[in-house]
Amino acid sequence: MGNKQTIFTDEQLDAYQDCTFFTRKEILRLHGRYHELAPHLVPMDYTNDPDCKLPLALIVNMPELKENPFRNRIVESFSEDGMGNLSFNEFVDMFSVLSEMAPRELKAIYAFKIYDFNVDNYLCKEDLEKTLNRLTKEELTPEEVELVCEKTIEEADLDGDNKLSFADFENMISRAPDFLSTFHIRI
Amino acid sequence: MTSYSNGGFFNHAYHDSETLEMDRRHSSKTHHTNPYASHDPASWGESSEFPGQTHGYDAVGRAPGGGWQGESWRGRESLPTRPDSTRQHDRNHSTFRTDRDSQYGRAPPYQLPSSVSGNMTMRWRRIAVRRMSMFPDADPAHVAFTEDAIKNEMENEEQDLVKELVAMSTRDRIRTIRDLLMSFEEKKHIRRQVEALKSSYKSRQFTRLADFSENVSLSVRRAGYTIKSTRQTLELWQGIMKEIGGKFGSSVLSYFVFLKWLLMFNIFSFLVNFGFITIPLLVHDPSPNIPQNVSFRGLELLSGAGYFTYTVMYYGGYSNETLEGLVEYNMQLAYFFTIAVYMVLCGIALIFSMASSFRQNYVVAESVSNSAWQLLCSWDFSVTNDKAVRQRRNNLSVQLKESLSEKAQRELPTRSEKLKHFGIHFGSWILSTGLTVGCGASIYYLCRYEQQRATDTENWSLSQEAETLLVPFVVSLMNLVIPLFYSLFNKFEHYSSQRTQIYALVVRNVFLRMVILAVLCYYWMNVVAEKFSCWESVVGQALYRLVIFDFLFLMLGSFFGEFLSNVIGTRLLLSLGIPEFDVARNVLELIYAQTLAWIGIYFSPLLPAIQILKLFLLFYLKKVSLTQNCQPPRRSGRAAQMQTIFIFLLFFPFFVGALSMVAYTAWTLNPSEQCGPFRGFNNTFSVVGVWMAELEEISSSQWAVWIYQNVIRSEIFYFLGTLIIIVIIYIFWHVTKGRQELIRLLRQQIINEGKDKSFLLEKLHDLQKSNLSRNPKQKKQKEHTKRHLDDRSSSSHSSSNAMVQALLARQQFEGEERRNAGGVPVPSDISTSSAVMQAMVARQRAEREQDDLYHMPDEYSSPDSALAQAFAARQRAKAQESDEDNGSSAVMQAMQARQRAEADRGLDTGDLPFPVSNVMIQVMQARQRAEEEDRIQWVPAPSQNTAPPGSSALIQAMLARREAQNEYDDGY
Repeated sequence: MGNKQTIFTDEQLDAYQDCTFFTRKEILRLHGRYHELAPHLVPMDYTNDPDCKLPLALIVNMPELKENPFRNRIVESFSEDGMGNLSFNEFVDMFSVLSEMAPRELKAIYAFKIYDFNVDNYLCKEDLEKTLNRLTKEELTPEEVELVCEKTIEEADLDGDNKLSFADFENMISRAPDFLSTFHIRI
Repeated sequence: MTSYSNGGFFNHAYHDSETLEMDRRHSSKTHHTNPYASHDPASWGESSEFPGQTHGYDAVGRAPGGGWQGESWRGRESLPTRPDSTRQHDRNHSTFRTDRDSQYGRAPPYQLPSSVSGNMTMRWRRIAVRRMSMFPDADPAHVAFTEDAIKNEMENEEQDLVKELVAMSTRDRIRTIRDLLMSFEEKKHIRRQVEALKSSYKSRQFTRLADFSENVSLSVRRAGYTIKSTRQTLELWQGIMKEIGGKFGSSVLSYFVFLKWLLMFNIFSFLVNFGFITIPLLVHDPSPNIPQNVSFRGLELLSGAGYFTYTVMYYGGYSNETLEGLVEYNMQLAYFFTIAVYMVLCGIALIFSMASSFRQNYVVAESVSNSAWQLLCSWDFSVTNDKAVRQRRNNLSVQLKESLSEKAQRELPTRSEKLKHFGIHFGSWILSTGLTVGCGASIYYLCRYEQQRATDTENWSLSQEAETLLVPFVVSLMNLVIPLFYSLFNKFEHYSSQRTQIYALVVRNVFLRMVILAVLCYYWMNVVAEKFSCWESVVGQALYRLVIFDFLFLMLGSFFGEFLSNVIGTRLLLSLGIPEFDVARNVLELIYAQTLAWIGIYFSPLLPAIQILKLFLLFYLKKVSLTQNCQPPRRSGRAAQMQTIFIFLLFFPFFVGALSMVAYTAWTLNPSEQCGPFRGFNNTFSVVGVWMAELEEISSSQWAVWIYQNVIRSEIFYFLGTLIIIVIIYIFWHVTKGRQELIRLLRQQIINEGKDKSFLLEKLHDLQKSNLSRNPKQKKQKEHTKRHLDDRSSSSHSSSNAMVQALLARQQFEGEERRNAGGVPVPSDISTSSAVMQAMVARQRAEREQDDLYHMPDEYSSPDSALAQAFAARQRAKAQESDEDNGSSAVMQAMQARQRAEADRGLDTGDLPFPVSNVMIQVMQARQRAEEEDRIQWVPAPSQNTAPPGSSALIQAMLARREAQNEYDDGY
C-alpha cells in the first residue's frame, strides 16, 4: 500500500467513493489508466489536486473507447469545456456514469447528451443521421438514412414536434431494458 | 416586490382556504422538506421564488391541466411506500408560518427518510433537467437573462440542495450525491458544504459526542468501502468477463453472468451443507464404516456407487444419533433443518432476483418501436474489439435495409399461405410433443428394465455397476440430440418475429426436460423407494450419475455444437458460416444441471461440491469454445428480457418442481429402515414432532411447542394465510391496472400537449409574418401614442401587440424582481408548452382584435397603443431602477398593460374558434379575477398606481413562470 497511498489522501479517496460509483481500488486503477495515457503529463501525486487535462485525442485512444463509434461524443459530453479535454475528475465521472452501478436516469441523461451532436437539447433529424452514419459506417444510401431517421422520429416522438426531446428519449429508453446493460463500459 | 412576496407567502388564506389540499401538499413537498430551509428570516424576503411557487401551484389546481396533475399526485399518494407524506406536509406548513426564525442548530421535529428521498428524486430531476436546458435555451423572452442571474439561481439551488442533504441520513445522502447530475467537482463541492454545515450544527451541541459519532460513522463507512473493494478483488473472472463482453457483446456475456450466479448459489449451498451436516459428523466419527470387501475401483467416479455408497456423499452415510461432543448435536434435526432452510433461502433468493429483474426489464411491457430502438438503444458500448465492432455495423446496416424493404413490400399472406404456415406449425408442435412424450416413455421403460436386473445386494460386480450407467447415458443423449431436432424444425417454421421463434424453441426444450425429470422422479419415488433397502442412497447415486453425465455431454455438446459446426462452416459448407453462440440452448442446459443439483440435495448433501467443480470447468470450457469457434451474434436480441425469462424458468418449473419433489419425499415417503438419519420414522417430518415432544417437558420452550401446534399443524392458519395473500394480490393487481391506465393517460397528455404546442407555434409564426408587414406604420404612430398615453390607458385596444406586450412585461418583471431580490432564483423558462401557450393566448386575442379592427375601422383603438404603453412602462421602470422601493410599481405598470389588454379581450372570447385556447383564456381570466379580489382583501396597496390590478398582474406573471416550470416537471 505504501506507494499507493501517496497518489491520493484518504480524504480524497473518501470523496471519490462518496461521489462516484467506484471503490478505492477502482479509483486507483483509473488513475493508473489515466496516467498511462500520458505518463509525462499526469503526475503520480494527486494529493494537491494538480490542474492537468488530457486532450480528446489521447483519451479516445484508450482500448475501451478506441472502437466506439461515439468515442468523441462521449468524451466531449463529459468535458467541462465541451472540447473534449478531460481532467482526471471528469475522467472518473465518465466511467462512473458508464459503470454498472449508475442508475438508469443518469445514464439516460448522458446518453441523450452523447446522441445530441449539435447540443440543442433535442435529437433532431441531423443528430439521428449522424448517429446512423456512425453506427453503419455510412453504408446506407442517403435516402435510406433519411427513411430510417424519419421512421425513428415517427416512432419515438410523442409530442409531435418532429424531434426527440429528452422526455421522448427517456420514454423510449424505459421500454428498452437492454439499455442498462449496453450503455456500460467495463474498466 | 418584497412586501408582496411576504404578503403573498404568509397569507393564510392561501394556505387555508383557497388552495386544494393536493396543491398545497405538492408545493410544500417540492421545496421545503426540512425545517432548516427556513432558517433565516431575511432570506424569506429575498426568496421571491417561494411565493411564486405557492401561486404557481394554485394555478395548477385551476388550470385545465390541473386535474391531470392532481390525478398523478393522488396516484402517488396512494402508494403504500409513502404513508406519511400528509403528515409531513402538515409539518411543512406549520414550519412556514411559525418557524420563521428557527436557527440551524434546531433539530428537526422528526425525520421521514422515505418520503424525503421520494421528494428528493423529484427535485433532482428538476435540477438535472433545468441544468441541461438552461444555457442553450433560445427562447427570445430570455435575452434579458444575464449571466449573473443564472449564476444566482444556481447558487440558490445549490443552497437548497445542501440544506436538504444535511437533513438526510448518511446513507441516503451518499446515494443522492452519487445520483446527482453534476460533475465530480461539483459533487465534491456540495459534499464539502454539507459536511461543513453538519459540523457547524454539531459544534453547537454535544461537541464530543458529535465528534465521536462522526468518527465512528466515518470509520464504518471506510470499513464498508474496504470490504467492497476486497470483494471486488475476490470476484471471479473479471478480466475474462470483460474480454468476452468486449468481443461478443452483452447478450453472450449474460450466459457467463448466469453461470457465475449459479456457481455462487452452489458454493453457498455447499458451505451450508458441509458446515452443518458433514463437519459435525466427521468431527465425531472421522472414519467411514466401510465393509471389508469394498474397495475403491475407479468406476465410482462415474457411477457414484460402490465405495462412495458408504461415505458421507449420500444420505445413507449419515447417522441418526445425537452426537455427544462438547455440546449435543442432533443429526436428525440438523439434516432436516439444513435442507429445509437451504431450500427456503434458495426460493427467496430466486424470487428476489426475479422480481428485480422484472422490475428492471419489464418496466412497461410493450414492445419498443423497432427502428428507434435499433438506432438509439441497441449499440453495445461494452464492445471494444475492432472485428466485433465492424461486424456489428455490418449487421445493423443489413438489418436496417431489411426492415426498410420489408416495410416497402409488406403484403398480407394469402389464405393458402396462411394455411400452409399453420400446418407447418401444427405439425412441428405435434412432432416435438410426440418426441418429448416418446423420450419420457422410453426412459420409464428403460428404468423398469434396469430395476428388474438390479439387485439389492451390498456390493455390485463391476459389470453390474457399469450397467447403471445406461440410464444417465440415454437421458443425457436425449438432452443433447432432441434439441438439435427442435432447432431443425425451427428452420422450417416461419414465425412472424424472431422473438416468437426463440420462445417456441425455449418452450419445447423446457417441456422436454420437464418430462424427463418428471419421469425419473416418478420412478424414484414409486419404484425405487419400494424396492431398495437404502433407497435414498440409490436415488442419490442415480442423481450423481446424471450430474456427471450431463457434464460429459455438455463437453460433447460444445464440441459438436460449436467446434464441429465451425469446421463444417469454414471448410465444408461455407454457406453455413461460423456458428453463433446459442445463448438460449446453453442457458437451458445450465438450468437443467442446476435442477438436478436441487433435487439431489436431500439424497446427496455433497452434490453441490460436484456441481461447483462442474460449473467451474464449464466456464473455462465454454470460454475457450466461444473464442475459438464462434462469432458475435448477428442479431442484437433483447438480452435483458431473455435473462428475465431464464431466471423465471429457473424458478418456475424447475425450482418449484425440485422443491415439491423434495417436500413430497420428506412429508410422505417412508425413510429407509436400515440407513440414514431418519431410520425408524414414518416420514422425515415426524422428526420435528419428536423434537416437540421432547421440548414439551422443558417449560422454557413452551412457545415453540405452541407455535408448532397452533401454527404449523393447524389448517386454519394456512387457510387464513392463503386468504390474506389472495386479497393482497387482488389489491395489488388493481393498483397495477390503475397505474397502467395512468401511464396511458399521461402519454395521451404528452401527445395532446405536443399538439397544442405545435398548433400555437404555427399561429405564432403566422402572426410574426403579418406583424412584419405592419411594423413601419406603427413606428410612425409611436410618438403620438406616447403623448396620449395617460388618457388612453384605460380603454386602449391593443391588437397584434398584445403578445409582444405580454412578453415584454414578463421580461421586465423578471429583471426587476431579480434586482430587488438580490439573486433569488428565477427559474429559467425551461418549459415549453405552457409558457408558450400563455403568450399565445395573448396573441390570439390580439389576432381577434385585428379582425375587429378591420371590421370597425372607426372605433377608437390603435393597434400599437399597448405596445407603446409597455414601452413606457419599461422606461419608467428603468428610471426607477435606482429606487428600490418603487421598483415594483414599474413592474406593476407593465403588468397592468397586459392585464388590461386581457381584460378587454375577455368579452370577445366567447366565440373563439379554437376550443383549447378558449378554455385557457377563460380559466386564466377567472383566475385573474379571483386573485384580484383576494389581493384587495389581503394586501394593502403599496404603490402610487392603482395597486390591486397591479399586484394581480404580478401574481399572474409569477403564475406564468411557475406554471411553466410545473408543466415541465410533470411532463415527465
